[in-house]
Amino acid sequence: MTRDTVKGWAIISLGNRFRGDDSVGPYLLHRLRDRLGGIAEYIENSGDMTRLLDDWKARPVVLVDAMVVSGTAPGEIIRLDGLDETLPAGLSITSSHGFTLAETLELARLLDSLPLTLRIFAICGKDFSTSATMTPAVEAAAAQVEQEILEFLKVQAGGP
Amino acid sequence: MARTKTIKVDYLARVEGEGALYIRYDDGGVHDVKLKIFEPPRFFEGFLRGRDYLEAPDITARICGICPVAYQMSSLHAIEDALGLAPTPELRALRRLIYCGEWIESHSLHIYMLHAPDFLGYESAVAMAKDHPQIVQDGLAIKKAGNALVSLLGGREIHPINVRVGGFYRVPVRAELEPLRQQLLRARDLAVEGVRWAASLSFPKFERAAADQYEFVALSHPNEYPMNEGRIVSTRGLDIPVQAYDAHFREEHIEYSNALHSTLVERGAYFVGPMARYNLNYDSLSPLVQETAEDVGFPPFCANPFKSIVVRSLEVLYAFDEALRIIDNYQQPQQAYLETKPRESHGCAATEAPRGLLYHSYGIDDKGKITDARIVAPTSQNQKTIEDDLRHMLPQYLHLPEDRLQAQCEQAIRNYDPCISCSTHFLQLHLEHAGGNSGGNDG
Repeated sequence: MTRDTVKGWAIISLGNRFRGDDSVGPYLLHRLRDRLGGIAEYIENSGDMTRLLDDWKARPVVLVDAMVVSGTAPGEIIRLDGLDETLPAGLSITSSHGFTLAETLELARLLDSLPLTLRIFAICGKDFSTSATMTPAVEAAAAQVEQEILEFLKVQAGGP
Repeated sequence: MARTKTIKVDYLARVEGEGALYIRYDDGGVHDVKLKIFEPPRFFEGFLRGRDYLEAPDITARICGICPVAYQMSSLHAIEDALGLAPTPELRALRRLIYCGEWIESHSLHIYMLHAPDFLGYESAVAMAKDHPQIVQDGLAIKKAGNALVSLLGGREIHPINVRVGGFYRVPVRAELEPLRQQLLRARDLAVEGVRWAASLSFPKFERAAADQYEFVALSHPNEYPMNEGRIVSTRGLDIPVQAYDAHFREEHIEYSNALHSTLVERGAYFVGPMARYNLNYDSLSPLVQETAEDVGFPPFCANPFKSIVVRSLEVLYAFDEALRIIDNYQQPQQAYLETKPRESHGCAATEAPRGLLYHSYGIDDKGKITDARIVAPTSQNQKTIEDDLRHMLPQYLHLPEDRLQAQCEQAIRNYDPCISCSTHFLQLHLEHAGGNSGGNDG
């Protein structure tokens, strides 16, 4: 997990850089770090969901992840309020030992370790094999999500 | 005629990676046991060929998100063996320190989040946390101290980037270790309590008959509990240098599994991991660990794999004790790393990953390009023993309702903390000759 600065907002990516479309989370994290600099903390998580309990506790969080949902096309974007909406089972497919994001949130509820807010941007992927490159549709969706997150954070900061 | 029954678990929960279980049995006995590992092979060995020898630790660290340090340690020791390089005692101590961090992280995740629910009757750690939040909180606090250790020495908590052939990119100054020392002291107290709690659990009775005793295999070192080096020894008299590994161990591809099965030549299945280390190296544990084991009535030799949760908790305590010892004696290395020069050579090494013996071997050309790589992960070494356990255990539990029988089988698999992602990295190469002959080579 990489940490840059400790500020209010945390941007957390889930996913493995070496597994095709699963790399979209870390890819976005890298791009957002370049665009936003020190206004947030950037945390890369490649599968140990228990670390989220500390990383997101009592702070506003944007989480980016790849997902697999049958019937969706690669590049489709799903936007969720992680604290108020039901999370699909296909989120966080690289989670170790079968912990899903939904279970991690439930554990956080029980242990008083929930984030203050949790905005989730998930991009549907197709190829998650080791050393595969990102599907073009997923890469295009990442550019759109990047803009949406920049605008979302601008609004949160009281900007126009 | 006895009615044949099957136990099918399509997706094993609370293990790392994707696996399944198939058992066919009837009142007369168990007829078929298959631990199916269907996570796709990950081709890391092929991936390494042609890469620079300095890249091996960082590439192999990506095999596993839970035990990257183990992959780094085995790969860099193997490459240093090829280059004839020996790290200084100070660098060696730092490597042992980061390995302590990984043992703590990996073992505590398994003990408190994955294995504990089996003993307390819950389907998951989340369900267990509703009734036992303190157990989960203590486990996470212990794990966090391991994370901090790996983070400080590895540059980050997962997939550390500070480890390199010849040493580290950067070594800590003494002042950086002091805050960590305080955190480790607090967590060590929790680890002592963790041993007491684990030893108080109720364990299924399971001992193999005399003819089917396990052959425990682990590293052994004359001066310390094994982590980074040692001879390979076993409870049946094996005592070889790591360089003789290939003469004594064999891997074979099994049709239903993407992981290779390892066996001891002319002996068969064997058992690696915390129980093997403990049983073969009890005398090298620190006084605190031995005293704690005695206090809770845990013997120096244990052959019931369901009690592996106690052994893991003792190893967590040892890792804290050892980390504190290393920090208290810390001498900052004069050089962060020793310079290396490639040469055409071959080297191998084995270290003790949290789950057991992890063997790496590499060939390098005179430009430093990797010509050959082989990795044998602990889970592929234990796979046959896991299946044998199920074969031996099941007849004792056939009176149980089917759902409890299935749960018991899954718990028996989790005794080994299998890491399926680690075990499916092999390369299967099919060659087809023009004349029509075909063959395979599992690399």
